[in-house]
Amino acid sequence: MNIVLLQNKLKEGLGIIGRGTSKSTSLPILKNILFNVKDDFLNISATDLEIAIKWWTLVKSGKDGSITVPYNSLSSFVNLLPDKKINLNVENNNLFIDCEDYKTQINSISADEFPIIPIVKEKEKVKINSNMLCDSLLQIIDIPSLSKVKPEISGVLFFFNKGELKLVATDSYRLAEKKVFIKNQTTGSFSFIIPQRTAREVVNIFKDFSKDIDIVFGDNQILFKVKMDDFDQSQIELTSKIIEGNYPNYEAIIPKEYKTQIVLDREEFLNKVKAASVFTSKVNEVNLEFSPEQGEVVIKSSNNDLGNYTAKTSGRAEGEEVKISFNYRFLLDGLLSTKSSEIIFEVSDESSPGVIKPVGRSDFLYVVMPIKN
Amino acid sequence: MKKENLWKTTLAQIQIDISEANFNTWFKGTSISALNNKKAVIGVPNAFAKEWIENKYHKIILKALKKLDKDIKEVDYAVISNPLAISEEKKKVKKNNREKASTASQMEFQELSVDRETGLNPKYSFNNFIIGPFNELAHAAGTAITESPGSIYNPLFLYSKTGLGKTHLLQAMGNKIKDSVDGKKVLYIPAQKFISEIISAIRGNKMDDFRRQYRDIDVLIIDDIQFLSGKEKTQEEFFHTFNDLYEKNKQIILSSDRHPKSIASLTDRLRSRFEGGMLADIGTPDIETRSAILKTKAQEKNFFLPDDVCYYIAENVQRSIRELEGILNKLIIHHQVTKKNIDINIVKSFLKNISQSSFSSFTFDKLLKTVASFYDTSEKEIMGSSRKREIVKSRQVIIYFLRKELNYSYPYIAKKIGGKDHTTIIYSYSKM
Repeated sequence: MNIVLLQNKLKEGLGIIGRGTSKSTSLPILKNILFNVKDDFLNISATDLEIAIKWWTLVKSGKDGSITVPYNSLSSFVNLLPDKKINLNVENNNLFIDCEDYKTQINSISADEFPIIPIVKEKEKVKINSNMLCDSLLQIIDIPSLSKVKPEISGVLFFFNKGELKLVATDSYRLAEKKVFIKNQTTGSFSFIIPQRTAREVVNIFKDFSKDIDIVFGDNQILFKVKMDDFDQSQIELTSKIIEGNYPNYEAIIPKEYKTQIVLDREEFLNKVKAASVFTSKVNEVNLEFSPEQGEVVIKSSNNDLGNYTAKTSGRAEGEEVKISFNYRFLLDGLLSTKSSEIIFEVSDESSPGVIKPVGRSDFLYVVMPIKN
Repeated sequence: MKKENLWKTTLAQIQIDISEANFNTWFKGTSISALNNKKAVIGVPNAFAKEWIENKYHKIILKALKKLDKDIKEVDYAVISNPLAISEEKKKVKKNNREKASTASQMEFQELSVDRETGLNPKYSFNNFIIGPFNELAHAAGTAITESPGSIYNPLFLYSKTGLGKTHLLQAMGNKIKDSVDGKKVLYIPAQKFISEIISAIRGNKMDDFRRQYRDIDVLIIDDIQFLSGKEKTQEEFFHTFNDLYEKNKQIILSSDRHPKSIASLTDRLRSRFEGGMLADIGTPDIETRSAILKTKAQEKNFFLPDDVCYYIAENVQRSIRELEGILNKLIIHHQVTKKNIDINIVKSFLKNISQSSFSSFTFDKLLKTVASFYDTSEKEIMGSSRKREIVKSRQVIIYFLRKELNYSYPYIAKKIGGKDHTTIIYSYSKM
């Protein structure tokens, strides 16, 4: 292998695939990344056997070939080089890096030792704008948790139906559903669950692109990829396992009706709940008293050691008086991911879930269970 | 050789040929998932392992397998999600336990643990169902049915007061039948849900779909059937479903908080059908059973409950098993927050609060409402001066309970019940 490319370009690629390397010591090869040169394209890959990230760029190539090198050392070294031409050359299983006055040799491991990244056999394929996908994922990504025996809900559900994609996440205390409209219609409806970590990496890698992402869904595996601008060649591919099993029937959780509804200013309500959080006790409990006649919600919290807190916020309301308590962290999460200046808050009674939605759009929904008194 | 042993021996041979790190990475969680005369299918935990083993170790595996079993000519690989992966996740979960303590009174979505197709919750099983003299009959009928659904007691009608284990028994039966070999189609549905499904089917003009959905079920379990009371359209629809399933010898299991005779506004044809099968009553558990139940529940939650505390609770909480569980949960939270061991004094102070609160939940208003709906009269009529037979009767019932349960004085009852004379009240009380 013998190629020439700019430092800046290499730095970009290493930055993207770095998150795919493994920190675990059980299989040292996973700390390495794979360089592969073929037909003037350089491909760098990293994997930890759960996800795999691949990145391509055009290079001036003298000789095809492949090699694996330790990611950490290579990456820190390349970052220190000037933004000039770099020559990468493989001889006797060693990688020689020349850039202006810098000359290095890195001991490497043969490419044969590197895990084979599975090719996803296409069952379904959808195109979606990367900004839209990443923004939507950000609204729900922090919700899933591993604190459950059910592995299905530790991931994010992707549910495609005609021209719509629903993203769903829950940790059994709260649930968020985000709808995204997609350009090309899928033939039927299908769904899969991706691990929370994969969703995070999708956001990290693709959030700065405003291109279309192809999502390819196959057996056991899912592939996210963006193509290069001028070639029919992938620029970045992220392959991940998907979580086996059926997502629970989450629609049964979403309340169909409510007793009391109030429309509130989001910022104001958010601040008052935040202030209440200072005075909460161990269970993070914030009490809300909905009084539709006065058109207001009273927010209360108290802590035996510290004191207590009361605040009011007013809005347009209808229904009956309801007293209900929530974990303030769950409330804040819901309010922060509802992207509108005013929010709708619906409740029924002290032991039924509350619903937070944006005003004027129906693409987001946050359901949260109360704290029992 | 059995396929488990065959694979173990094969692995032992492979282990010699490759490095330990490689072996642990790629062969952990593998198994022979199918073996039919010439072909062995190796189950691997993920797609990476599949690619790697297929490309790098295929020859070694084939050679090792052939040596052990001469018939094997071919080896294939398939990704099988394995339980090992889940146990790894569980390890990570342990770290989150600190957080759990702080969310002890945080409510959860119940729907998540419910099976999509059957509506059953897998946490209910016969293994954690405790049998005592009070529920022996119901349990015996239940187990008999799980062995041959549809052929003996049909329908089975279970009734008992709330919180004594009806739902547990019902769901345990459903789970057992579902898991049995012949794959019967089970559906568990609370009556309220059944009613709301009917309403939405009527609204959406989808009655046909609704009927079809219910008519190819093998075992239909409806909980809290007393909620059908007064809902005529639902009763009619249920009646047809019932007949349909009954004629095809499909098992029907129902539960209610009272005897079919005592369910108000239930059409006679339904009532006679309910009574036509097996009626089983669950009584209140005796003290030994209560303390056994408490012990089991504590064990399920990994909580240590001293014997004297356990016995004390069982002695003092008699009404329902759910109440026992509630107290246990309170003790657990108390223990988590204060980090103190549970002793009998803490329990005493807890029980004091609880017995007071359950007493105060029985009020005049509630009594009036309940009696009025039971006798199908209005509260206004009872409070009025009508002397119709049914109304006088319901008025007398109220007077009896006010005197007996709430210890009201005769003149006070007279005042409460619409300004009658206290002698009338004395007479009414003695009539009961």
